[in-house]
Amino acid sequence: MGWLLGSSSTLSQVSCLHTSPELNSKHWERRNLIVYPPQQKDEPRRPAEIHHCRRQIKYSKDKMWYLAKLIRGMTIDQALTQLEFNDKKGAKIVKEVLLEAQDMAVKNHNVEYKSNLYIAESFSGKGKYLKRIRYHGRGMFGIMDKVHCHYFVKLVEGVPPKVEQKTGFDQAKEYVEQLRNRTIIHSL
Amino acid sequence: MATSICRTLKYFQPITCQNIKYVASLLDVRLPQPVFVPIRSKKRYFIPPAVNVKTQPEQEAKARAAGVVVRQQYIERPINISCTAGIFDPYVPPEGDARLSTLSKEGLKQRTEQLRQSAASQLSIRKIKDHDPDFSTKAFPELAQQIFIDAHAALTQFNKEKLHSLVTERCYPEMVRGNRYKTLRWRFIESLEPPRVVHARCPDMISKGNLYGQVTLRMHSRQTLAIYDRFGRLMLGDEDEPRDVLEYLVMERHLVNPYGRWRLHGKIVPAWAPPKDPIIKTVMIPGPKLKPEDEFENLNYQIPKPKAVQWYK
Repeated sequence: MGWLLGSSSTLSQVSCLHTSPELNSKHWERRNLIVYPPQQKDEPRRPAEIHHCRRQIKYSKDKMWYLAKLIRGMTIDQALTQLEFNDKKGAKIVKEVLLEAQDMAVKNHNVEYKSNLYIAESFSGKGKYLKRIRYHGRGMFGIMDKVHCHYFVKLVEGVPPKVEQKTGFDQAKEYVEQLRNRTIIHSL
Repeated sequence: MATSICRTLKYFQPITCQNIKYVASLLDVRLPQPVFVPIRSKKRYFIPPAVNVKTQPEQEAKARAAGVVVRQQYIERPINISCTAGIFDPYVPPEGDARLSTLSKEGLKQRTEQLRQSAASQLSIRKIKDHDPDFSTKAFPELAQQIFIDAHAALTQFNKEKLHSLVTERCYPEMVRGNRYKTLRWRFIESLEPPRVVHARCPDMISKGNLYGQVTLRMHSRQTLAIYDRFGRLMLGDEDEPRDVLEYLVMERHLVNPYGRWRLHGKIVPAWAPPKDPIIKTVMIPGPKLKPEDEFENLNYQIPKPKAVQWYK
């Protein structure tokens, strides 16, 4: 793997790339290898980001999505407790991945406090499927997919950002305002 | 089939040129063009097991019966060892080396009796001069200091080839371990005392006569070091604060090899050296396993302190 020096020009290139889950999951491990230039004393401390993933988990990507959505935005301790008492098969795997990532963060990425991490991104992707034959009656058959999935997680150091909860009343107020702002163009 | 389509397309595309082919096209010279033959194959979801296939021992027996003799294959790989694995008969720096000032009587006595005393060092220096006529105890320290500065500069830039030529294979992993995704900023400001040769040995490895020369230098200098982690945050040191550093460097050269060069082999850290600065990070040290009824304060657990031994970097 190369040692990619992340200068400011490279960072701006990365920011204007279209980053959607399908496009950046191929290089997830590589994102741990970028090195940022040293910060000046007056700059705010850059939070550490740790990318971790597990490939070819024997589980469905749609079922894994529920677990990924569950822990999005939680602190790592909260996420670990929720997964420990969740009954799904994927919960055990996701918990292992989170513990590995936490361990990596403390040992390799100079993170000071292991509880000071929160889950910034967490999603699942489709892995390579194996195909088998499912036998039906009357000599008919179907191709059965043995599903596998990948699971990606990005831990960031610090306190999780507060997500503003929108109440129903706020949404209704916005709707009414939208209705009031309507105009008829080219009118007299 | 994907591969066959690619190959057929290549057959029809104008053949892209490189070097000779470009020149050939300019000069209207006919070069033999590579012929791409498309291969037809079908992707099989089920590959049937091979029939009438003989196992390895059966094949060998058949070959022997037929009279085919296979010459014994030697799976060898030559390895070049160009440095020793450690520091042989290491120099033990006297206690309070840098504490006494050179102007006092004890200080002067220490300086003058150092190298003259050790007979083994004198013998080794004579042996080194046999193999390398340019070596001299007066001129060598300057050279070694320059190698030291160049090696550390290469480490900051992480110039692998230059670093390998300035530093032995035993020293390289120790210098580089853990630094790959970190930024190092190192500066050599000045040398406080001229470097001196304090110790020399000529061990031979594996076979007698395969001589390596190891020379220990004492260097007192002023340096700055700052280590930044992957995200550009300061891990250790300060870029603006110079520190006085007393170091004992070990330089090594493979004397028998005519292309051998003096390279940095390691550093000796004496037992009386002051402890290093702690890193700017709180680290958790694993403690004893507690039973449910125990309290940590009641256990009177002594945190183990490291022993003050001389060690080598």
